[in-house]
Amino acid sequence: MPEMPELDPVIHGKLRLAVLSLLVGVEEADFTWLRDKTGSTDGNLGAQMLKLEEAGYVAMQKRFAGRKPQTLYRMTPVGRKALAKYVTALKQLLGAAL
Amino acid sequence: MTDMEREDGTTRDELVQRVALMEAMIAEGRQSTARWGWVFVMWGLIYFAAMAWVVFLPFKEWAWPVCIAVGIVVSVVKGRQRRSKGENQRSRSLAAVWQIFSAGITLYVIGAIASGHGTQSAYYAAIMFFIGLAHGTSARILRWGAQGMAAAVWCAGGLAMFFFTTQDEILAIFLIATFFGMILFGLYAMWLERRRAAGMVQAHA
Repeated sequence: MPEMPELDPVIHGKLRLAVLSLLVGVEEADFTWLRDKTGSTDGNLGAQMLKLEEAGYVAMQKRFAGRKPQTLYRMTPVGRKALAKYVTALKQLLGAAL
Repeated sequence: MTDMEREDGTTRDELVQRVALMEAMIAEGRQSTARWGWVFVMWGLIYFAAMAWVVFLPFKEWAWPVCIAVGIVVSVVKGRQRRSKGENQRSRSLAAVWQIFSAGITLYVIGAIASGHGTQSAYYAAIMFFIGLAHGTSARILRWGAQGMAAAVWCAGGLAMFFFTTQDEILAIFLIATFFGMILFGLYAMWLERRRAAGMVQAHA
């Protein structure tokens, strides 16, 4: 029996996976947009974004839009590779389950 | 995994849910026209108000500049309230189309009114083509048939203006185009936005 691939635990969390899936389609996104799209709370999203940042999957940048501070996130090349690897593993696992 | 559970406790259903979540979020991220239907409805109502002013109120020459100025102020203020964004090339292209359209039509209306050309059918025809071109470009970017129909309505109205030139005819054509190409289209966009929002996946950790 072939060995089953491992799913990256950093990506596998629902909210983290949702955020990475959102970021893959945009160049950058601000915190409130990610929060609105995922239906998450500030605290929860902030904690999950920190985990993604620590893993090197997203990069964060703070700037001002007018007078208001804005926190922007973008997916890093490492994050894209990791997500692609996760999708491949997911396909293999689902294929094996059929 | 034939027993539907991996060693780490992940079941097949959970994996399928992850796939569905990814699909939903990727679609959300690519949706560039999110929650802008109200803008079309608002501008449709502003056009109605401007036409009503022209017909029923004094200082007719001020109707379009004042109504357009009000529309721009409301759009900017409401747009700033909806600051959150995810930006990509498509969303920037759409923003560029409508920003350049807004600047162009504002200058055109001010120039036409100031020079006394703001009542001829060719003036309204040009406005309708302006709107039709913006809708059409946006429709091409989004590959959205409904907006393509709105563009066709405005361009057809613009063409009709060259053949029906009395004030009553101009008014009727403009009102019909505004209703179908702006208000009805905007309401349809809002309905789609609500439906999409209702089906949005909650993604808690």
